[in-house]
Amino acid sequence: MADEPRKPFQWKDRYWRVARSAVQAVALALFLFLFLRTVRGGVPPQAGSLFLHLDPLAMLAGLLASKAYVRGMALALLTVLLTILLGRVWCGWICPLGTTLDLFHPRRWKNKQPSIPEAARGIKHFLLTAILTSALLGSLWLMLLDPLTIMIRTLTEAVYPALDRIVFAVEEALYSVSALRDSISGLDRILRPALLPADPAFTAGGVLIAAFFIGVVALNALAPRFWCRYLCPLGSLLGLTGKLAIFRREVNPATCTNCGACARVCPTGTIRPDKADASDPAECIMCLDCVTVCPRSGQTFPAHLRPAGWNSYDPGRRQALAAIGAAVGGVALLRTDQYLRRDLPHLLRPPGAKENDLLSKCIRCGECVRICPTGVLHPAVGEAGVEGFWTPVLIARAGFCQYSCNACGQVCPVEAIPPLPLEEKQQQVLGAAYVDRNRCIAWSDHQECLVCEEMCPLPEKAITVDYSEFSGGAPVVDRTNCIGCGTCEYKCPVNGEAAIRVYAPGRDSV
Amino acid sequence: MKLTRREFLRWTVLGAGASMGAPVLSGCAPAASGGMTRLPPPAPAAGSTYLAVARGGDDPEALVRRAVAALGGMERFVPKGANVVVKPNVCTAGRAYEYAATTNPCVVGAVVKLAREAGAARVRVFDNPFGGTAEDAFASSGIAAQVAAAGGEVEYPAAMKFVSVDLPAGETLKSTVVYGDVHDADVLINVPLPKHHSLAQLTIGMKNMLGVIRDRPIMHAALNQKLVDLNQFLVPTLTIVDAVRILTANGPTGGNLQDVRKLDTVIATHDTVAADAYATTLFGWEDPEKLLYVKYGAQRGIGRSDWKHLQIEEIAVG
Repeated sequence: MADEPRKPFQWKDRYWRVARSAVQAVALALFLFLFLRTVRGGVPPQAGSLFLHLDPLAMLAGLLASKAYVRGMALALLTVLLTILLGRVWCGWICPLGTTLDLFHPRRWKNKQPSIPEAARGIKHFLLTAILTSALLGSLWLMLLDPLTIMIRTLTEAVYPALDRIVFAVEEALYSVSALRDSISGLDRILRPALLPADPAFTAGGVLIAAFFIGVVALNALAPRFWCRYLCPLGSLLGLTGKLAIFRREVNPATCTNCGACARVCPTGTIRPDKADASDPAECIMCLDCVTVCPRSGQTFPAHLRPAGWNSYDPGRRQALAAIGAAVGGVALLRTDQYLRRDLPHLLRPPGAKENDLLSKCIRCGECVRICPTGVLHPAVGEAGVEGFWTPVLIARAGFCQYSCNACGQVCPVEAIPPLPLEEKQQQVLGAAYVDRNRCIAWSDHQECLVCEEMCPLPEKAITVDYSEFSGGAPVVDRTNCIGCGTCEYKCPVNGEAAIRVYAPGRDSV
Repeated sequence: MKLTRREFLRWTVLGAGASMGAPVLSGCAPAASGGMTRLPPPAPAAGSTYLAVARGGDDPEALVRRAVAALGGMERFVPKGANVVVKPNVCTAGRAYEYAATTNPCVVGAVVKLAREAGAARVRVFDNPFGGTAEDAFASSGIAAQVAAAGGEVEYPAAMKFVSVDLPAGETLKSTVVYGDVHDADVLINVPLPKHHSLAQLTIGMKNMLGVIRDRPIMHAALNQKLVDLNQFLVPTLTIVDAVRILTANGPTGGNLQDVRKLDTVIATHDTVAADAYATTLFGWEDPEKLLYVKYGAQRGIGRSDWKHLQIEEIAVG
């Protein structure tokens, strides 16, 4: 079919494209603003997880897994209502990952569609079924695949620390020029801690998290928004909801000439030339690029009250059973992990989080890691078994839990870390410290130290001094008092493994 | 302005080149501090006050003003146009000043004001807390607000500003890493508060200087000798001991009001060793040389521990 001659450019033709880019930019900017400014920016920590509260997958999976309603979960209904009204507007206009993928729209797919079997669209439905089934069984480990948790985790553990290193290297180099000192010093005050961490940020396997994200972006090479088309479980949930969309795209047979311009630009490839350019509202992200390119106003968006029809790639009984079976088997297998049999000695969880229900509450978003001002929280790599992958753990050699801080519980969108008042958080026992007298320089080498005692933040120190063996004094932990904040382990001057370590509380106490 | 990829790369390479080249250029740059270098602390003329103690009343600022006035006024210590750094003790976040874990914010504010009144070009307040972030610590201690109100700035530690230094006269501490802006200050005013400390027994003025060192935990072996080395290398121009409150147990972080004693006292002198020696009396000590860094400091001749032989002016305020 021959192309229609191009119309002369008119502002109104670009209207939707500009509007969508603007909304996407604002949404991404808000997302980044909340990401940066709820660390130390005076924005209440609860606001930091706004986008997660709007994420129906995170909230539904959280609800199914924890069997408890958490304040703020209902906000996700706004997204559901929006989807019932207008379809997958979230994906096309709001989702920060979707916007990022649009930024990496490969040139090779300009006005061209890849040839990927339509059946591949079913993968995301399979994943959704598996996630919700696992959630019902109390396991949220597949929430690793939620687009918002991917974004937050990547920004927290990869982009932000790497950016910090680069900026710091430049700052440090320029600061050594005395003529630039005052300006670099002033710049640093603007950047830190408002936008970048005051102290170098350390990650637990940030490279792994970056690689995962790069993989998601790289799939764009196979098809524009490959992730959104075929893999995104949130896209699946919103797509199935979008079957109900009241306003959805229809081709106007009176004006459409089947020129195929819309089908070539459709970022999800759901406009089918072989079906008279019709599209599936479950796959359409309402980007309106088809409206922009259409030379003849060939599409309309009339109101419907009947749900859209089912397609071959939409979930069927067979696929659902397979997904449920995979989830049941997968969760059963995860529960055979030997780490569950014995408490892991160094598995320290954020204040108030209980190991037994953390796995069924935590949606792996990494908000707590992001907000921790002293860099003690990290996404677990091997510390918490396979099911605990990328759940938060305390690594006391990397940082310590600040006695006067309760930010992680305030920011957690699903209360996997409970939002405790500071006084109550200060009573939470994360573990207990033990001195290794073979390595402690006071006990074994009779050297003056007592750094652990000095820096113990408890009003009644949980570390006392024993003068019986060494006149300079050697530390003894009072474990009726110790809360396991890890300050002693972090500050211990012994290299490598500290001579005082925090051990996880036994299961009986959690 | 539209930036092409080529232009972007060109600027990136230029920028990177400039950053790499910067350390080379800095070698031929003029000395860092704006011409002035830190003068040794001015000793009092014969017959005038060596150490001033102001007591009483409920206004920390009045105590500071009276004690400094007794030494001849802040002008003796702060030349016009000087770059002044004030070093209080802000060891931890999460403690209001009533807990006597951190220097009284009104004392710090008063020091800033006096330095400004004496004509300082710039007054910055620096410490590097170990218990939590610096922002939290300066806020919870109340110091950030008082410094801003007094016309000073808080210098929050910036990682790039630490510099490696050699201590040629050091006996135990031969080299370390200190905060460059403290090292380069024309005038350094030490504003400690006396607290219990298990290893050193008490932390007062000489011990407060530890806050300018980056890697502190390792300093604790042979701490007393190292403190003398450090105080010989980085000599405060003036020491003002805030004993409005002192912490008698569970130091230096505190947290119990029953460990705090309110004394409404401020001690000022150019001699940190003498300040510390005198401050031991606040804990009822007879022999200040039981505090080993005071003893070693006096032996090394960086100050005097025999406070009973010094000319002390006691001022009753309010």
